[in-house]
Formats: sequence, C-alpha cells, structure tokens
Amino acid sequence: MVALKSFVISNSSTAEALSELSIAIDAVEIDPNLICVFYDGDHEDALIFDYVRTRFPDAALLGGTSCSGVMSEAGLGGAGSIGLLLIEDADGDYGTAAVRLGPDACGCAEQALHAALAAADCSGELPELIWIYQAPGREEAVIEGLRRVVGDRCPIIGGSSADNTVAGGWRQIGPEGPMDDGLVVAVLFSSGGISFAFQGGYEPSGASGLVTSIGYDPAGESGVVTKVSGRQVLTIDGEPAAEVYNRWIGGVLSEKIENGGCILEDTTTYPLGIDAGQIEGVTQYLLIHPEQIGKNQSLSTFASIEEGTRLYSMRGDRTRLIQRAGKVASAAADALPGGSKNLAGGLVVYCAGCMLAVGEQMPEVSRTVSASFNNMPFLGCFTFGEQGSVLEKNAHGNLMISAVAFGH
Amino acid sequence: MQHVLEGSEELREALVALRREVGTLRVEVTHANVLLEALEAMLDVDGDVDPFVGVFKALLPVFECSYAIVLIENIKDPCKLECVASTHAAAVASLWENGRKLGKVLSGRIVTTISTADDEAWPQIDGLSKSQPTLYLPLSVRGQRGLMMLLRDEDHPGFDRTHVTLARKFSLLASHAFAAKRASQTEAESHRLQHLTQQLKVSQEALKLRANHDQLTGLPNRAYIQELVEAILARKQPGQKMALAFLDLDDFKRVNDFYGHTVGDALLKSVADRLGTEIRQMDIIGRISGDEFVIVFDLIEQQSEISVLVNRVSDKLRQPFSIEGQEIRASGSIGVALWPEHGHDYDTLRRHADTAMYRAKTAHKGSFTFFSSALGNEMSERLSLEHRLRIALTEREFQCALQQKVDLRTQDIVGFEALVRWVDRHGTIHSPATFLQLATELDLLDGITDIVLDNLSQRLPLLDAQFGTAATYSINISASQATKTLFMQKLIRRIADTGCAERFLLEVTEESFLAAGAFQTQVLPLIREAGVGVSIDDFGIGYSSLAILADITADELKVDRSLITSIHQRPRSQSILGAIESLGASLGMSVIAEGVETLDEKNYLLNSSRIKTGQGYLFHRPQLISEIIEQQTCIVQKFKS
Repeated sequence: MVALKSFVISNSSTAEALSELSIAIDAVEIDPNLICVFYDGDHEDALIFDYVRTRFPDAALLGGTSCSGVMSEAGLGGAGSIGLLLIEDADGDYGTAAVRLGPDACGCAEQALHAALAAADCSGELPELIWIYQAPGREEAVIEGLRRVVGDRCPIIGGSSADNTVAGGWRQIGPEGPMDDGLVVAVLFSSGGISFAFQGGYEPSGASGLVTSIGYDPAGESGVVTKVSGRQVLTIDGEPAAEVYNRWIGGVLSEKIENGGCILEDTTTYPLGIDAGQIEGVTQYLLIHPEQIGKNQSLSTFASIEEGTRLYSMRGDRTRLIQRAGKVASAAADALPGGSKNLAGGLVVYCAGCMLAVGEQMPEVSRTVSASFNNMPFLGCFTFGEQGSVLEKNAHGNLMISAVAFGH
Repeated sequence: MQHVLEGSEELREALVALRREVGTLRVEVTHANVLLEALEAMLDVDGDVDPFVGVFKALLPVFECSYAIVLIENIKDPCKLECVASTHAAAVASLWENGRKLGKVLSGRIVTTISTADDEAWPQIDGLSKSQPTLYLPLSVRGQRGLMMLLRDEDHPGFDRTHVTLARKFSLLASHAFAAKRASQTEAESHRLQHLTQQLKVSQEALKLRANHDQLTGLPNRAYIQELVEAILARKQPGQKMALAFLDLDDFKRVNDFYGHTVGDALLKSVADRLGTEIRQMDIIGRISGDEFVIVFDLIEQQSEISVLVNRVSDKLRQPFSIEGQEIRASGSIGVALWPEHGHDYDTLRRHADTAMYRAKTAHKGSFTFFSSALGNEMSERLSLEHRLRIALTEREFQCALQQKVDLRTQDIVGFEALVRWVDRHGTIHSPATFLQLATELDLLDGITDIVLDNLSQRLPLLDAQFGTAATYSINISASQATKTLFMQKLIRRIADTGCAERFLLEVTEESFLAAGAFQTQVLPLIREAGVGVSIDDFGIGYSSLAILADITADELKVDRSLITSIHQRPRSQSILGAIESLGASLGMSVIAEGVETLDEKNYLLNSSRIKTGQGYLFHRPQLISEIIEQQTCIVQKFKS
C-alpha cells in the first residue's frame, strides 16, 4: 500500500519554517521510503538537509531549490516556502544518489543511476521510473548518460533546479547533502504503480526557420565534428537569430536587439519549438525557451539545438498554461493501473517560465492540479528545464509541465 | 497520400489520447491472447504431462525471447533453486543459488535486468550467459515457491515496462491456475476453471474488436489491416496474386468545412458502408486515417480483374450520398499496388499504392492508377530532388540571374527582372523549370526568394555603377507568397533597407489579387507605403475580369509571352494586345511585352503598338549577376586599354 503526504510551510526564516514543518510532520503517522524536498532558493540548504536526514535517516532523499517556492494541494506556497512530499511504500524499493556534474556529464549520470539502484538494493534492475533533479546546463548529456543504461525502456522525468532571479543560485539536495552543480537521481520501484504525463501548453504560430549556425560546442566527446549542437543559436535561415526571432514574435524584443540582455520574461509566451515527431501527420513539439540575446544578435536558449534543426515559433497564453497544468495531472492520474481512483498522490514539475507568464494567477494552477488529482497530496516545484518522455523517447525541454502519479 | 496536418492544441491532444488508448487496448489484447493460450495449455494437460511445453510455446514469441527456465525451491536445500522445466534442455535439473535477486522474485516481485551482466552467480550451463537480457517472474508451482526466467539473445535489447506488466498478469493467473489444478481436480473445480476461461475469451473478443477497429466506421484500423495483410501474405503460394488499393476521398476537407464534422463523419461512415457492398467476400477494407481507406483484393488472377473491381468501387462512390437531408457528391482517387510485382510486404505495397493514388489524384480526381516501376522511379527522383533542394537551400546554392528590359526604340536598358538559378556544388546550373514547382510544394520558395533578394541587394552598388541608378529591378512573387503577410512584411523591409525601394517592382500574378483579398487589403498597402512598385505578371492568360481589374492598383501590366509569340501573324493576339494597351492607359499602368524573341515581333510592337518596353531572348538571355558584372568589367577594361 502506497501513501503520500505533503507539507508546505511559508516562512522566510529557514529555522522557523523547519520548526513549523517538524510540528506538522510529527502530527501524522508516516514512515517514508522516499522524500522529495523543494524550497525557495533563499533558504539555507544545510539546515533543511540536516532536519530531513535526522528526522528520516533511512529514506531516500531528493530535492533542491525551486523558483519562488513550491505548490501543493493546499495552494501556492509562494516566496519563502519549503515543501516536503513523503512517500511511504513498504513493499516498493526507492533509492537516490547524487553526483557533481564534472566535465563528463554523461558518465556522471550513468554512475549516479547505478549508485541509486544500488541504494535501492536493485542493482542491475530496470526501474519503473527514474526521477532526476539537476543543475541547469547539461541536461541533454545527463539524459544521454541515463539512456545509455535504460534507453527509452523506462521514463525519465525531472526538472532543472531554479533560483529566484536566474542568477545561478540554484542548488540540489541528494542523500549526502546539498550541491550547486550536481545531479540527483531517484529510482522508483513502486508497489502501487506509477504513471506520468509530460506536455507543453503552446501552439505553433506559423513562422519557422532552419538553424544555420550554432555557437561552437561539439556534439561528441572527441573526434571529427560532423554535427554541431549547442545552446547559442547564431543564425536562422542565414540571418542573425535574434533578429529573425524578434520578427516572428512581432518585434517584442526590438529594444534589446542592439545591446542584448536577458529576455526570459519577454519570451515566456513566445517560445521556440522543435519537431518531436508526428502522430497521424500532426506534429508534436518539444519547447525551447530563449533566454538571452547575445553579441552578434545570437540567441541563447535553455536547451541544446543542432544545426539544421527547424525551429518553430510557438505561442501560448495564460489561460492555456493554467489549464494545461490540470490536464497534465489528469492525464497522469488516468494512466495509472486502475485509473485515477487508484491515485495516492503526485509530484508536479511546472516550468518557472510558465509561472512567470501566469503571474498573479498562479494560485489557479495549484487549484487546477489539486482538482485533477482529486485533492490527493501532491508537491509541485518550479524549474528552469523539464525532462520527460515525448512519444516514448526521453528528452529535455523547456516550458513543459510534467506530472507523476502514484497509485495505492 | 500523406497529408501533413498542423492542427490545434485540441487536435494534438485528442490524437495523443487516442494513440495512448489504442496502444493500451492493443497491448491488452495481446496480453489476453497470450494469457489465454498459456492458461489453456496449463489446464488442458492431464496428470504428469509437463504443462510448461504449451506455456513456453505461448510466451516465447510475445516476449521475443529465446529461452525460458522454471526454477522452484529445492526441498533439500532451501539456499538452492532447481530447474524443473526449460526450453533449453541443458538447464533442466541445474541448481541455482537463491541470492538477492532470485529471493526478491520468489517473494513476488517482477524483475528485468538492465546491465550487461547479472551480479549473481549462475550455474555453468552451455549456451546460457549472464549477459543475456532477462525477465524474472514469480510462479508458484506444485505448491512450492518458484520463478520463471525469460532470456533474450545477448545482442537483443532488454525487456521494457510492457513486458513487466504482462509478466505480472501471467504470474498471478498462472500461479492461481497451478494452485487450483493441484488443490482440486473435482468436476466442480474443473467446471469453474473452464467457465473462467470462457469469460476471459469473451472479454478478449470484445477487447480485440475495440482495439482493432475504427470506432466511426467499424472497419479494421491501420494497425489491424497491416496484421491482416501480413497474415494473407504469409499464406501466399507462388503464382498467387493480391492487390492493395489505396483510396483517398477527394476534397473531403471541403465537406467538413462546408457542412461540419458531423456530416463529414456521417459521409465517412456511408462511404465505408458503400465500399462494403461493392467488394467481394474475400476482400478486406480498412480505414487507415481521416479520409484514407485501404482495400485488399485477395485471390486475383490478373490485373484486368482489379480494374473491373476498382471501377465498380469508383462508380459507386460517385453516386450521390444523402446525409442529413443534404445531397453530397463524393469521389475517391485510387492507387493500386500488386503483390508480388510491386512489393513483398505491407509497408511497401501501401507506400506504392499511395504513390499511385497521388498520381491519379494529380491527373484527374476520381480516377485510379496502377503503380509502376516508372512511377516509383519518378517518386524516388522526386524524393532525391527534395533532399537536394533542402540541402541547396541550407547551403545557399541559389543565385540571382538578371534579364534585361529594354527600350524597344533605343535598345537602352531600362531595368532587369531578377530570376533564380540553382548552381549546385558541381557547378551545374539548373533552370527554375526543374525545381520551382517542387520548391513551392515543399514551402521552400520563401527561402529561395530571400536568397535571390540578398544576392541582388549585395551587388546593387556594382550594378548601379554599370547600368545607372535609373534601372529598375523586378522580383517575382508567387500567389501563395503574396498573401503571406509575415513573409511580405519581411521582404518589403529588406527592399526598403536597400535605400532605393522605388526602383523595385514586385511581379505578382493575377491569382494574387483573387486570393480572398488578403493581398489587396493587407499586403498591398505595405508595398505602397514602402514605395515599391507592383507589376502584374503573365497578364492576359489568368482569370482577368474587369471587376477585378477595377480594384487593382498596379503600376505595370506585363503581357504574357503567349500573346507576344508571332504576334505579327496573329490578328486575334493583336486585338487582345490592343485592348490591354487601352486598359493599361485608362488605368494608368505602363505595359511591357515579355517573351520577345524575333525581330518581326519587335518590329510589330514598335510600329503597330504603343508598347515602349520589351523583354526577351532577342535582347538578352538571363545571366547570373556575377557573370554580368564580370562581363561589364571586361568590356570597360578593353575599352580603357
């Protein structure tokens, strides 16, 4: 039997927040096998880690900073919030492991996965689901490393930890403590079944173009470069990328074209999309969030793009981004063995970019997720990148929403 | 024909949900089939006969594995498990260490491996290796705890979560079946088991129907029709024939747009019903997507039989449908591929039939065509050209060529028409006739136009130095481009960036003015505002009507070459030209003649018309800009020396 409980406290003082959390947690009976902890980046990681480790020494632990706090079935935690999701499943196996992402992020991910499996006492076994939380920047390499071991035979879901101001202050928490450049991998073997959904809330707006050059970043580890990929798009259709993108979105960035700068907020409703495959002739898109205009009018993004890729101009709006969160949660719950009646609770990753776009209506997002999850416990974090399975292929995207549903 | 739809969020969502549902159903059907076979194998055997023979036979194909092994706890030594059955004879009676993993499986867990080597000891058995991907499932046998191992070959991928789900179901049912069989062989128990099996069969049939049939028409769906065809092909004997027809309803989108989706759906259902009445008993129809159907004509003696059958289907479709009180006329274009001549498997046959259908639809809607190797070659060439065109665009292999427009009286150059040439990496120059139509279909034309304009803008200072700053430059814009506001905005901005927008003319066809007003209302004002001129290209052969001309605000009428050719000998063309001249004069548009190729044509224009400007091979053949500049530089140098 699987049971979930979520706890969210909003208090800018970490010590006070933990004290309140402790009281709330002690009031319920639960012996968790896996703990997910997410919190506003202004909190002190060491205190959070010490509390969780001391209170639940045997549970697998995963978490990190989440942009401007967390959300749960109780609502939007908001700034200064800390959230814990406790998952009790005596008949399941759960394990986590953390690693600092060195130059070989692929290898690090592979190593962390094997360590997590060993921690779950499931070495050499295919998990039901892999959940990851990591520092933004090398998500594609991390996915690739994990896929070396499991391919697309099991879903890889997760998020890229986020701070509040995109100033690089994101951190991750694994079983051995906090890090700022790390990856935490959790392997889940649930006794009640697990399902997931991973979707974006944007539609193509019509314009598209081919990436004709990328800031140098060889795709392979060494050898002859045959295909270039990276996170800095220099040109689209032979023209400076930022200029083309600005045209596509109606000149929103005109003032920033000359001198460059951060465009994260300006572009949350106008991301780029890449073709992730088709169902019956209808394209499915993986989203990419343009982050910065650089010198030479280049465009930096939160995901790697290969030269020759066709980029599509996408468009979203608040209402759609709010509703989408609920739809993703419903899709995950419905996919459980036994359907949503079997739902014990869930874990949601909502892109921080979408959160910026939704703005003051964010409480609606937590309400719609809660309704879709039948008011069962859940915890939601806000991230700078999302990982999930699109058309049975594990991938990294931006501005996406994912939900994992746990069955009883 | 592969339609590429770009749908709304809802459409995408519905498709994902549908795919997930169909996928789940199909998996469930497969699972139910396997479970049934395996359970029947277990329940049907008597006494001491090994029940695993039938079980293995049922399980091995669906798990795509090469070996199966059943281990049970050893009574004498609880630390060991003994192999009591296996498809690999050498494994039988072997003893296995009851380690961490096997212990976990014995206690009820399904396990599948990911690493290349199992970390637990295996007994030494020839032909078995720990590196083989393995699926372990618990199995109670003869009252003892046990497990089954399914092994794939080493070079095969590992088992996935679907296999784990199936293994879980099988494990549960098989353990219960064994327990029941062992606990009681009474008639009542036997009857209960048979009843359960019967129920499972009924559920399986219902599932199969849902998973394999299109909900709207009740016809076999895409995946099932493939299965059916593959099954037919597997039974085929040498000398036997079969035909696969691909039917695509013509203009079905219009029905949906005009009458709505309810009527569209009802039409699809009626089409399916009508097709069903026209085929023979041994033939099969399936609906493979929106308005696409596949008909399998089995047991065919000769090609002429197919023609009769397909014509019958076509004729029946052409008869009007009465849907919700509306009379709707429909037709379908059909392509036919024959087995074995046109392909040996379903995918190839369907693809070739699709190719033939595309040809039929292009030639004449409602017709049918047989696939042929020539058609296949044509399609391969088209695909090859498509590939090369896409690369050419990425590599910017297109170049601007210019053809002079001259003053008929003085022969002075008054301007140029910019044309496109594809200079491939081998230096071969391809004329637009070889690639423009495909580029248009592939939506590559905007990129090509951008390159031509870039090319021209960059060389403009050099051209001005040679031909003066009064020369005008015309850029061709297709009708579809002319109505794309975003593209036109960008193009006009680029022209404005040259600093001499007033020397540019956009040559558009009459079709652009007809296209739902978008060009007139949204694009034309932008062109005017930028000071760019508009020329109506190929004038005189389009859809010109006075009503439309009255609304057109263009600067130039370019008389089509078909009217200019041999004009000195063709009184009717002369009259039409006269009328166009008058029209141009009264609407304040200048008139230019294109396609002037002979002195006679030029002399007629000079002496018998008021047209002042001409363009054609008589004056100048199009040349790449680089050649023109190089040539002029040589002339200047010669002159200087």
